[in-house]
Order: sequence, then structure tokens, then C-alpha cells
Amino acid sequence: MTAPSRPRLTVWTVLKWALAILVAIIAVFPVWWMINVVFSLPGEPVSINPRLWPTSIAAGIEKIQMIFAETGYLRAYGVSLLYAALTIFGVLLIGSLAAFEFALFEFRGKRVLFAVIMLSLMVPTAVTIIPTYLLTSSLGWLNTMQGLVVPGLASAFGLFMLVQFMGAIPRDMIEAARLDGASHFQIYWHVALPLCRNALVTLAILTFMQTWGNYMWPLIVATRPEMYTVGQVVGLFNAPLSHQTVDVVMTANLLAAIPPLLFFLIFQRKIVEGIAMSGTKG
Amino acid sequence: MPSLRRHLPQYLMIAPFVVLFVAFFLYPIVSGFYYSFHDWNGVDAPRFIGLANYEKLLGSRDFGRAMGNLATYISITVPLGILVAFGLALLVDSFTGRWASFFRNAYFVPVVLPAFLAATIWRWIYAPNFGLLNMILGWFGIPSINFLNDTDSMIYALIAVDVWVSAGFNMVIFLAGLKNIPGELYEAARLDGANKWQQIVHITVPMLGPVMFFVITYSIISAMQVFDKPWLLTGSSFAEYGGRRGALLFPVMDMMGRAFGEVHFGEAAAYGFLLTVAIILLTLASFAVRKWRRS
Repeated sequence: MTAPSRPRLTVWTVLKWALAILVAIIAVFPVWWMINVVFSLPGEPVSINPRLWPTSIAAGIEKIQMIFAETGYLRAYGVSLLYAALTIFGVLLIGSLAAFEFALFEFRGKRVLFAVIMLSLMVPTAVTIIPTYLLTSSLGWLNTMQGLVVPGLASAFGLFMLVQFMGAIPRDMIEAARLDGASHFQIYWHVALPLCRNALVTLAILTFMQTWGNYMWPLIVATRPEMYTVGQVVGLFNAPLSHQTVDVVMTANLLAAIPPLLFFLIFQRKIVEGIAMSGTKG
Repeated sequence: MPSLRRHLPQYLMIAPFVVLFVAFFLYPIVSGFYYSFHDWNGVDAPRFIGLANYEKLLGSRDFGRAMGNLATYISITVPLGILVAFGLALLVDSFTGRWASFFRNAYFVPVVLPAFLAATIWRWIYAPNFGLLNMILGWFGIPSINFLNDTDSMIYALIAVDVWVSAGFNMVIFLAGLKNIPGELYEAARLDGANKWQQIVHITVPMLGPVMFFVITYSIISAMQVFDKPWLLTGSSFAEYGGRRGALLFPVMDMMGRAFGEVHFGEAAAYGFLLTVAIILLTLASFAVRKWRRS
């Protein structure tokens, strides 16, 4: 026998594959179904076209154009993208500045401060959301971009993740840079940041997913239609009294799903690793 | 202070984070605690009323209903979700190379969708008559069920969506844990004549200890704060929420309704603290169980 022995086809193997495929269908089918509802002619009875595969690409494109032209969807898309972009920028900058110090330097009060911040990971959002809303409101930040973004910038999870990575930077490199005459900030910018690029990318992706999917905070802070996020617009399309047909609602849903699904296709390894890390090191 | 001057660069660099953390995390907790003893509509001056908010909440029917729903929901969705996630992790782990990542990614798709979207898609799948699920049931001659309006089925409809979303998330964490179990342990067990099932019970589960603990604690904490899914499944608004006869009323929904529907911010703040106390007690209990099982 020169050929490597192939795994035998047992009942167990067949069952395993059948189960794996069945679960894959259950996981992916609702998304597939959503796409099919969008890309089929409206009003076709389910008995003729059960929406198991797309039947009319043109009809789908027409619905997307209709939603962008006749509703505030495009504007909400802009709000959500800006909300996500500013949050990512802020979380990465503020988090990495603090992580640099917490991971690599000693200063008075460091341990207590870090412990308090890590403890906050255990405090449920439920207890802070209403007072945070009241504070945002008294700052006059309701229905503003800073009201959406700023309260979420001090991310304890982001800090934790970046401290893990920055802690792995060899102290010799920091010392060498200092002997070369680099200032404290220059060491952060030219040595530490490039070295934890991977962690920054992962944190950026996770922050995007979280911000794009955030429903509760925009729901109370951005109550004017011109500040609606995608989540709220999707909620309105789905509201009991919206009088929208299922294919229009699904088009709205699909448009909300496209950015995170694209991100996942491009960055799947980083996303999965980021989540795995949060669980195994936490 | 010499140490302050010497560490000035450190303090400057952490300042943005610390200032935001104090302003938007610590201050809200303290002010929330203050409001919880006051009657406040957000406009007039807060009026001190002692423990009245807490008393009113503990005696209110909606509070009882929300907590009852929550107990049912958690006791099913947490064990079921973890069991499914663990099963999926073992399933994916039994494949290698391309197929392992294919199935892992497929199971992860529901996690990638924005949380609000899972609920809105499933609302249509559950729809009576023309919804996908009732269509499939129709093929087998089962009459249409109004999953989201029948008080007997509503909570299970929510749990199904919940497991659909959370399974992929927890699976990925379990998979990372499985990778850290040395292969020699299984090798040794196989030589001792242990079958697959015995290997899972005696090696995989104990070796996954810390990961399992994280998943259980995290699942409980997030389940206690469930909001988006029941809110959107029932098509709620601040005027009306919780679905038919409050069958999908949960604490955070109730809290948000009291704040933004009835404009009783003090009561809502008190609600947040009651919920936090419950979460902390449960978390401490799970730590205690872990310690007790270790000794």
C-alpha cells in the first residue's frame, strides 16, 4: 500500500457530514432567504415562487434604488458609517494611548486605576444607560454625532485587548528608541503602534461590528429622523404599522446586512480570532 | 509632588481615556444611584422620595412579569445555547483544513449580522400563513401558528432566535479552547480504551474549565440584559412594548419603557440597580460554584 490510507466511510462519518450540512443550512438559510425575497418579482405568490433562489436580479436592483430614492435610508447609511468610523478612530487612539502606559510603564495609581477599569467590564449596560442618557442630554448632545460617539469611546474591552498586545513588546526596543533620542510620544507613535498593528486591526473590526449593530443607544439619543441610524430605519420598516410589503422590508434589511457581511468575508480570520481571544484570555 | 512630575508623560497619555471613563462610566453610576431615590421627569427639579421607587418597582405587576419571563428565558436559553455551541465546536473540530473553516464560517454568519437584524428577519420567518416556517409546517398539514402572538409559543420563538445567534459566537470561543488541549491526553485515553464519549466527558469538558466558565458567566450576564431581540420581535415602541399580554416583556425593556415612555427617570435608574444587584449575585454564585467544585 503506497497510497495514504483514506478515512473509511462509516455510518458515523456520513451522519457527521449530514449534521454539519444541516446546521450550515439552518445558520445561513435566513440570510439566503432574505436575498431571495429581495431579488424576486414583487407579488408573485409563494406557491409559484417559494423564494428558495433569486428569480429576478432587476427587480431587486429596482427595490434598492426605490429605497435609496424615496426614504431616508441613504442618509441613515451616512450617519451609521460616520458613527462607526469616528467610534473606531476614537477607541483606537484613546485606547492605545492609555494601553501604552498601562502595559509598559509604572506610575502611581496604575494598579488601582487598571483594576477599576477592568471591573467595569462586569458592570451591566443596564445600570449606566439611563444616567448616561441624562448626562448626554444635559450636555445638549441629543441628536448630535458627538452624543452618539463620545460616551462609547472609553472602551474597557479595547484597553484590555491592547494592553495584552503592548505588554508583549520587548522593553529593549523602548530603551533603544529612548537612547536614540526619541520622545515619549515618538516611542508610542513610531515603535509601539506599528508593533501592535494586528491588534489594532482586530479591535477596529470588532468595534465596527458592534457600532453598526448598536440599536439601543441610537434609539434613545438620536430621535430625530435626520440623525436616524440604519438600525432605527430598519426598525421603522419592520414596525407593525409601517404598511410595507415584505420584499421592501427585506430590501431594507439586506442593505443593513451588507457592510458587516462584506467585512466578514474580507477579515473572517481576524474577527474569529478577536472573539476567541476575548473568551480565552478574559 | 516629585512622582507626579516624573510621571507627567504617563498621566498625559492616559488622561483622555480616564477623563472619558470617569465622565461616561463612573459619574453615570453615581448619578444613577442618586436619581434612584428621587422622583424625576427630566425637566423639573428631582424630588427626594427615599426608597419609594424601589418599593413601587418590587410591587409592580410588570416588574414581576418581566422577572418571571427572564427566569424562564435564562433557564432555557443559557444551557441550551451552550450545549448547542459546544456540540458545534466538537463538530467543527472533527473536520480538518478547508472544511473546518468552511463550517465554522457558516455557523458564524448569524453572529456577523447586526443584532437588530436577526430579530427582524425572524419576525418574517415566523409570520402567520405566508411566513417561511408556517409554509414548511403547511407541507406537513400543520395549520398556521402565530408564533409571535401566541402567549404559549412567544418565549420559545425568542429562544430559537437567541440560540441561532449566540451558538456561533460561543462556538468560536470553545474552538479556541479545544485547540489548547494537548493531543497526547486523547492519545493516552485512547490507549486506555476510552471511547469518544468518555474522552469528551473526562478530558474535553474538564480541560475546557476556564473557557466554559467564561461562556456560562457571559451568557447569563448578556441574557439578563436581553433587549433588541424581544423588542423588535414584538414590534415594540415606547408607547407599547412586550408583546401580547406582556409575554415577551423583559427587565431592560420595562426599564426603558419607564424612562422613555412614562418619563420616570428615577424609577428607571432604580430598575437598573435592582438588575445589577441580581446580575452581581448570579455572577458571585457562579464564582462560588466554581470554587466549591475545585476544592
